Amino acid sequence: MALPQSLRTSVTPLELELIASEQLVEIVPLITMEKTAFISGAYGPLRPPAKCRIPLWMATNLKLKKKCHIVPPEWLSVDFLLERLTRETSRPEFSKLPFRFAEIAKVVLDVASDDVQNADKIKSLLKDLREARQAKSRDGLQKLDHSELSLPNLCSMEINEIRPFFIQSMGILTQLVREPSAE
Amino acid sequence: MASTSKAISNSAHQQGQTCIAFSRDGKIAYTGGLDTLVRIWHTDQGEDQEPEAAYEADEGITAVAAAEGCWLSGGHDSDVRKYISGKAQFNGLVMSAAGASIRCLAVDPSGKRVAVASDELLVKIVDLDEITNVVVLEGGHKKRIRKTTWHPSGTILTTSSSDGTIVAWNISDTGAKVENVIDGVIPEVVDPESPEFMHDCSAVWHPSGQYFFAASRTHEIVAISRSTWTKTSSLSDPNTVGVTTALALSANGVYLASACNQEILIWSVQTKRVLWKHPGTPNAFTIQIAFSPTENLLAWTDTEGVLSRWRDAIPAESPDPVHQTAAGSAQGTTTKRKPTPPLWGEEPEAVAEGGDPYGDDWIIDDLGDGMEDEPEGAKAMRSGDGFVKEMVSITKAQPAFQPGSTPMENKKRYLAYNMVGVIEVTDQDTHHIVNVEFHDRSTRKGYHFTDHFKYDLGSLGERGALFACPPELDHPAQVIYKPYGTWSTQGDWTYALPKGQRVLGIAAGGERPMRSLRDPSSSGGDIQGQGNIVIATSSGDLTFLSGSGMERIVLGVEGEYVTMAAAEEYVLVVHRPGATTIDGSQSLVATLISFEDFQVLQEKPLPIPKGHTLRWIGTTDEGAPAIYDSAGYIHLMIHHRRPNRAAWARLMDTNLLERKQGKDESYWPVGLSQDTFMCLILKGRQEYPGFPRPLIQELPVRLPFRNQDPVDSPIEERIARERIQVNLARDALGDELTSPDIDKREVELDKQLIKLIQVACKTDKAPRVIELVKRLHFPNSIAAASQLAGFYRLIGLQEKIEAIKLWREQNATPAEEAREARQGFAYDDAPLARPKPFQNFNPPPKVDRPGLTRSAGIVEQTEFTASSVAIRAGRSLAPRASASRSTSPEGKRKRDDNDDDLSCNTFDVGVKRRAVGESNVAPSPKPSTCIAIQPGRAYISIIYCRQPIFSEDWARSQEKSFRKKTRAQQTYPKERELF
Repeated sequence: MALPQSLRTSVTPLELELIASEQLVEIVPLITMEKTAFISGAYGPLRPPAKCRIPLWMATNLKLKKKCHIVPPEWLSVDFLLERLTRETSRPEFSKLPFRFAEIAKVVLDVASDDVQNADKIKSLLKDLREARQAKSRDGLQKLDHSELSLPNLCSMEINEIRPFFIQSMGILTQLVREPSAE
Repeated sequence: MASTSKAISNSAHQQGQTCIAFSRDGKIAYTGGLDTLVRIWHTDQGEDQEPEAAYEADEGITAVAAAEGCWLSGGHDSDVRKYISGKAQFNGLVMSAAGASIRCLAVDPSGKRVAVASDELLVKIVDLDEITNVVVLEGGHKKRIRKTTWHPSGTILTTSSSDGTIVAWNISDTGAKVENVIDGVIPEVVDPESPEFMHDCSAVWHPSGQYFFAASRTHEIVAISRSTWTKTSSLSDPNTVGVTTALALSANGVYLASACNQEILIWSVQTKRVLWKHPGTPNAFTIQIAFSPTENLLAWTDTEGVLSRWRDAIPAESPDPVHQTAAGSAQGTTTKRKPTPPLWGEEPEAVAEGGDPYGDDWIIDDLGDGMEDEPEGAKAMRSGDGFVKEMVSITKAQPAFQPGSTPMENKKRYLAYNMVGVIEVTDQDTHHIVNVEFHDRSTRKGYHFTDHFKYDLGSLGERGALFACPPELDHPAQVIYKPYGTWSTQGDWTYALPKGQRVLGIAAGGERPMRSLRDPSSSGGDIQGQGNIVIATSSGDLTFLSGSGMERIVLGVEGEYVTMAAAEEYVLVVHRPGATTIDGSQSLVATLISFEDFQVLQEKPLPIPKGHTLRWIGTTDEGAPAIYDSAGYIHLMIHHRRPNRAAWARLMDTNLLERKQGKDESYWPVGLSQDTFMCLILKGRQEYPGFPRPLIQELPVRLPFRNQDPVDSPIEERIARERIQVNLARDALGDELTSPDIDKREVELDKQLIKLIQVACKTDKAPRVIELVKRLHFPNSIAAASQLAGFYRLIGLQEKIEAIKLWREQNATPAEEAREARQGFAYDDAPLARPKPFQNFNPPPKVDRPGLTRSAGIVEQTEFTASSVAIRAGRSLAPRASASRSTSPEGKRKRDDNDDDLSCNTFDVGVKRRAVGESNVAPSPKPSTCIAIQPGRAYISIIYCRQPIFSEDWARSQEKSFRKKTRAQQTYPKERELF
């Protein structure tokens, strides 16, 4: 256990990214490939120019070899994110986004920014979205309860972010609440 | 074609904005410029004249106009000045615009009032006789007004604003009100200092008053109807690309002059084609054009401050630009002019009522393409005889096109865009850059090359890319084929056409490579050949060449070639055998010609609705021909492998697509596979895809079924669609019974059917269950259906299903029947054997007269019985076979003796089968159409129609007696063989 205590309790973002790589994305292949069996399942066949749904890790791999174009998911567009951002800033609750949107967006933008229209604008929108949501989750700290925490529409990366601190605080709260009854 | 006469030019003003107006009598031209001067030119004097000038203005002149007895000028100094006609004599201020620049002056048709547009966001109409009499038009614009024009009646004023709107004002004695705002036609130019601001964006009214022309933001010239205020048609020329900077109509409205790319173009309003061109001043763009109101004279001014006058702009042999009727030319020459044609715009109402889907475009242009490339004599003759036709709205014949190509736009175009790849062309003025890219980069490698021939046709086949260029100067039309493969250019070959012939269309077909073309293995590389080439030429033929450039055959086209697409083993050619019909049908016919031996496999008229045109043809991934028309339908040719039995199945109606609802978009097909329609989605009124290359979208194929049941309908649709595909796949099988792929699909189909059976069982619809059960493919599925019926406690139904299962097990499977049917096609369509002279002692062939036979029980047409029955119905191509059917045993023996062994074998099978069938149905008055049915099958059919309620025991007993009978009869042909 070389890692400091604070990090040991939570999953690292890289690990989350790995988990998100199992999600399916659409690609436009540039090569022909028969249906191929992998550990996680059989994918393909790839028949250009027909689109195909394959896991993100495979899409990344093909993209890096210039063997496909990744079709960005429909939520990874300026219009959609702008709409979500306005909703995020105008309403108290978290707006609905894909559970692993942060990881997928990062991978797609890192690997295939040339396939995404307005990649720069999308990057800045994602950043804004993240900040708006972070502010909300900080606000949520006030409502922290010792027994339960409901997090509707919170995404994996955000949960992961607040998890160590929230769990610890909830533990302390539990202690504080329990003690009067014990006396 | 450039006109013979040359324009004379005078340097009139300093660089920058200039303007021009003719006096009412056409003798004087007034020009104004940024040098604050208005010069007065006498049109009858030449280049050497010294024009008078009016010096009163303090700042640049932006507008001049001529009224009755006076002329007006306005400029940046915000004053409108009045001068005495023909002289530089100042006659007083008309109005002042309080510090805002005057942008346009328009004198109404009577010459009494002037509309003044300035930067004030309002238009003032000033009475020239009484200048205090002013009508102010305000509230219609939010940005400064650039141009204003009058309707010929003087009751409508159109103002073009810098925010891209055109406002039509209704002017009456009492006041003015906005009649309509037309947005989105003219470009939006906000900055008054930008060069675009000087472009002429005015609405130029036709003298008939029915419509006006304006230069649109899409670089076309559009005609906008007065009655509906919508675009009715547009003028665009494939050879001229660029923004139109000025527009003018001749006095009688026959010609339209426009300035584009430093050229002056004269269009025929009637045919919407460019007739003549004249070069403008180099490095300057023309910003105002004017036709003389009384002479054959065109004048324009440009940003270099040069005034150009083009006398005799309209050659003497063409209709006069001034007068409505036949008259001698204004110059007093004795050339007899042709009568002015009736104007296209004279009956726009009639056109609009026709509900015609492509605007006015389909009215025939009787001057045709010939206008540009025919000798003068022929042209005069044609324009003379064409006018009668014009009165009748004949459908414009769709010109030849190459599927997947687009016109040149912004110096770029697609020559081909299909499922193999894309050919993109970039115009570099002196040459083209051709870029060939493939969707599948593992099989073929993309490349690009410099093209000095300017190829205008391209086709991307499975085995190579084909290009064709038009003839130019001394080099003839030629075709170049670039096969894909290991060697870069060694395989290329060219095929030149004789002088005077052009290439209308090209197609490259070939077998789809299973593996990479670079793969040297026996299955992958070039061992399969380099495909097949078809070239359609202007001399009315289709030339077939092999992939290595060997000429194979020249076929004549029965009519006018329209388009073609090549598949693996055939080419689909679309032609027009006769003329279009008067009610809007294109009357096109598709022909499938095989590459192997040039057989016509199918010949079918295209199912295109009236008033619509063919947009695309191609083949599906499975090799079936498909078409797409402007009505938005996709049709697939089913049974295309069965000779002369093809039909067009409507595979999809894109208007019903969910995504299309409430949106203005259209689809540009790229390809079709089993369940997806690959296309590019065009937004709005866009007709062709642009650059950069849009992504191919996949739309689900849905048969346009009308039942709206939420549970059953989608499944039924899916089954029907899958059925089409399975049948297509099965037709390709040949002697194979089935393929693993088909089996898999049929299992899927059965699963869907079982779902339907379950629903039907639930709702207790026994007939439907029976029907669905009969459509099942595998005994296991029938057993499942029987279980289902048991589950729902439908015991009677379960018994019937069990009975069906039993027969199915005892008889030929549907797959076997289908194979037999396939073999039957070959048999039916076998070439007629020539009888040997004096050796044919057979009685004359039996003639079927279905009308004379007695009525018989109807054979139920299920999927499985129908296939074999229908095939033989009405087919008597092999008279010998049918003869043997009806002859006595002696006759048969004779035939056997005389026949050669080769045909004997094949026929015997048929004879045996037929004999069995015949005797089987002998007691009952059955029509001869079902005699070829297998014993058991016919049996089922009979029971079905005669005996709806039966028990298993009864069926067994029937079967037993039937078998006995059959056995007895089967001996008969065997005996015959012994003889």
